[in-house]
Amino acid sequence: MMSIATGRNRARARKSGTYALLIGIAALFTSPFAWLLITSLKTERSLGAFPVEWLPEPFAWENYRAALDYMPFLGHAQNSLVIAVIQSTLMTLSSAYVGFGFARLRGRGKNLMFGVVMATLMLPHVATLIPTYLIFSKVGLVNTLWPWVMWGLSGSAFLIFMFRQYFVGLPIEMEEAAILDGCGYFRIFFKIFLPQAKPMLATSLILSFTWTWSEFLQPLLLLSSDRTTLAVALATGYQTPQGAPINNLIAAGSTMYVLPVIVLFVLLQRFYQAGSATSGLK
Amino acid sequence: MSVQTEARPVAVAAAPKPPPRKRWSRYRSRTFYAFVAPWLIGFLALTVVPMLYALRMSFTNTNGISDKARWVGIDNYVEALHDADVLHSLYRTGLFTLTVVPLTVLGSVLLALLVNQPIRGKGFFRTLFYLPAIVPGVAAALTWKLIFDKDAGPANGVMELLGLDPVTWLQDPAVSYVLLSLMLWGIGGGMLVSLAGLQDIPKELLEAARVDGAGKLRVFWHVTVPLLSPILLFQVVTGVINALQIIAQPMLLAPSAGGVVSAAKVSPDTNMYMVHVYAQYFTFGRWGYGSALLWLLFVVVLVITFLVMRLGRRVVFYNVDPDSQGEKG
Repeated sequence: MMSIATGRNRARARKSGTYALLIGIAALFTSPFAWLLITSLKTERSLGAFPVEWLPEPFAWENYRAALDYMPFLGHAQNSLVIAVIQSTLMTLSSAYVGFGFARLRGRGKNLMFGVVMATLMLPHVATLIPTYLIFSKVGLVNTLWPWVMWGLSGSAFLIFMFRQYFVGLPIEMEEAAILDGCGYFRIFFKIFLPQAKPMLATSLILSFTWTWSEFLQPLLLLSSDRTTLAVALATGYQTPQGAPINNLIAAGSTMYVLPVIVLFVLLQRFYQAGSATSGLK
Repeated sequence: MSVQTEARPVAVAAAPKPPPRKRWSRYRSRTFYAFVAPWLIGFLALTVVPMLYALRMSFTNTNGISDKARWVGIDNYVEALHDADVLHSLYRTGLFTLTVVPLTVLGSVLLALLVNQPIRGKGFFRTLFYLPAIVPGVAAALTWKLIFDKDAGPANGVMELLGLDPVTWLQDPAVSYVLLSLMLWGIGGGMLVSLAGLQDIPKELLEAARVDGAGKLRVFWHVTVPLLSPILLFQVVTGVINALQIIAQPMLLAPSAGGVVSAAKVSPDTNMYMVHVYAQYFTFGRWGYGSALLWLLFVVVLVITFLVMRLGRRVVFYNVDPDSQGEKG
């Protein structure tokens, strides 16, 4: 009797310990978001207050308006959106197309090429970006959308791998029936396999959209300050003429910049999980 | 000819393993190249060509603008190995890598273990822990800059409450800790990868070990860790490579006066290797020297990847035969 009760108590204590730990970590992980929101609602006076004002009084909602106006926020948001839509669409289609080739077709050098795809996952991308930028600037592609079109068309190693894994798993009968009907592989891909891959396409679109929306160094190097994306504009746009950062506007701008990514994630979580399940690379 | 192409599909359907007809396999291989062409062309034009371009520049003293660039042989490489600034940045990058990789991998596995337990609300906690990982790098860096602001930041607010002196967090030496916090905030991605690995471990295996009388800790060390090792290795390798080329975060944490993000204002302690390379190109116009530094990084990454993979073959336990997914054409 006694021992059962203590056993149960111990299990309960363990469980509450786990919960305490989870809640503690959760507080740690969410507090930066909270501080971003708090700072975005501070007046200038509250920002300079000493000691630190933990909750602004009153909330300065007008900061959001000011963040839109202090620099052309919406213009930069539009730049980000255009680049992200172009790159994610092209990258998704191209990666699915290439992934199908690796999954369903045979050719000399295939294993080597797939090895190279996997190796490029390990390549230091920041390091290749600098000489790529130098070449783009020589041939006059700086300040255009072409770099993103080209990056999109050539696909992403990660997504190629993801699609390849998906297409490898589909039954061979799908292909054979179509071949009997006289279909070539292009029609097989576009008419049969691509429509089958809708969840993967959604995953790929969301992932590549988020990557491009978040990318910092590419637009920093390749676009002038009036054409640049929100990522770069946020880091440089909210400063006094003397060059001091305006923290409440930075916070308000950052909040508006992050919000679409988080909303996208919360609404479409299952697609992110499909992506991360593949990223184990086993 | 046409007879053959028509006959072939029937053969596929009729026999389970038809002998490959020459014409058909030629069609298939040609189609294969048509399918991988976008990637192949992109890889050559956007990766190989820039790398070779940098390689050629690395043997010159070009600044990209004047035509007076000279061939200097391996001078740039020799200089790099004697450049105190390069060696300093290498040291800082090495230190950063050796700190951040173990912490993030360990942290991600511990978080995964925590949210893998059969408790209510684990999905909620998973989402919460993953959320910072999807926050764009710029916003994350700016957020931590606000937190560690000397005057208005909550970090110093807490110091104040504890009766401690305020710290200028965004300068040396404290800025290294800010950078570390920023990186640790994003371990949710690694957590999901580890979680996928944990969930792939067959439950029977864990139960069998328990039945055999192994304690929880022993089961963890002798069953969970070995089965998780491919995923741990993957995280370590990608972690090291990402840490070696870190550039945006130190630049964003540096004071950004005058509306420019530049490598020149990064503090010495966070002056990582790529930050230094970036400055060679865009602050000093030393394209040749910068390219030599880039190639040194390429070589280092190549060697590390190779070594880890070799080591991995000996240390890592593969549950699934790694060749089994190789060729299904």
